Amino acid sequence: MMVRFDDSQPIFQQIAQMIEDDILNGTYREDDQIISMAQFASTFQINPATAVKGIALLVNEGVLYKKRGLGMFVAAEAKQIIMEKRRNRFYDDLIMKLLDEADKLELTTEDIIDMIRQEKRS
Amino acid sequence: MSAILACTNVNKSYGNKKAVLNLDLKLEENTVYGLLGRNGAGKTTLLNMISGGSFPDSGEIEIAGSRLYAGDMPANTCYVREKNLFLGGAKVMETLEWASVFHNNWDWSLANKLVKTFKISKDQKIRQLSRGMESLLGNIIGLASRASLTIFDEPVLGLDALMREKFYRILIEDYAENPRTILLSTHLIDEIANVVERIFIIDAGSILLHDDVEKIRINSHLMRGSNEAIGKFTNGKRVIYRESYGSGALAAVYDKIGEEERVSATKLGISIDGLPLQKFFAYLIEEGEHDE
Repeated sequence: MMVRFDDSQPIFQQIAQMIEDDILNGTYREDDQIISMAQFASTFQINPATAVKGIALLVNEGVLYKKRGLGMFVAAEAKQIIMEKRRNRFYDDLIMKLLDEADKLELTTEDIIDMIRQEKRS
Repeated sequence: MSAILACTNVNKSYGNKKAVLNLDLKLEENTVYGLLGRNGAGKTTLLNMISGGSFPDSGEIEIAGSRLYAGDMPANTCYVREKNLFLGGAKVMETLEWASVFHNNWDWSLANKLVKTFKISKDQKIRQLSRGMESLLGNIIGLASRASLTIFDEPVLGLDALMREKFYRILIEDYAENPRTILLSTHLIDEIANVVERIFIIDAGSILLHDDVEKIRINSHLMRGSNEAIGKFTNGKRVIYRESYGSGALAAVYDKIGEEERVSATKLGISIDGLPLQKFFAYLIEEGEHDE
């Protein structure tokens, strides 16, 4: 499958995010094995070195751990680590952008809060 | 890592035309490279010299540490030409057998598997093959050769989208299991963007730029804003393309942009997006033209 990667970010980061998404949505659970570097490379048609870099990123953060000769597995604290990291980014990336755009449109904080309330999600 | 190929100050002319000019290029072991350039940029001339098909007027080419002299065939190298030199009257099977003789690491099980995958009849004569089938046969030889330096010149010429995807997939799979140095020469850049680690851009016979694909991805940006804001922000940065429309401007920038700079860009009302590799290449080459 040819996946369109986003041009503004390194592919290894996007690979790491895909694994993170799969852990957050429960596709991978604690101690599940994730697909191998070679499978990643061929499935997403990326250079194996890129796949290795993406996986290494998550190993460094403690999201994945390595079992010698077997492969990569999801750490017990994986979900917690990812959530913490993404919550910080949520503020930097999404909230700040939202406020910048709201400024341009002359929307007040109250307007935004009202809009969020109207969307009866939670 | 040691170099599998080193070209140092290589020159080659045909009559008055300088096809390759003071060219330096170094490829490491076990890496996939892309060689990008427009038609006539000097790609095929360079590849011909690397594969021993022609000899530089001056400069040095070293393959796996040993210098290539006129008439030498480089060791453990496989060059899949854009226009192959197969004999038209030979059958597919005979062509594969012929190729197997020249390559020490030749893998028959892979060759046979790929002939099946690409649905090529072994008894067919070369001249009966379509352009796409001919490309595929060349690619099968390139892959099955398992040569420590394998060069593909426009490997997907004449292939439909499905076959192109299949070829790249097989290439990656085989490379993951049997690492070696692969050089993909093409002008279809976006297709190889995810496959290669590092690219060389050749223009007017010289290497214009070489860098890791991921670095290019991080450092190339498309910016949009007012003329004034763009001018202010891009001052001192490497701008590879700029276009004004009314009081607005577009600029393609190839430079590091840090977090703080992003914040100040936002304050100036500038939007920053990623730049697809194909566009990056086109802008870079156009910039080179202005200098001439």
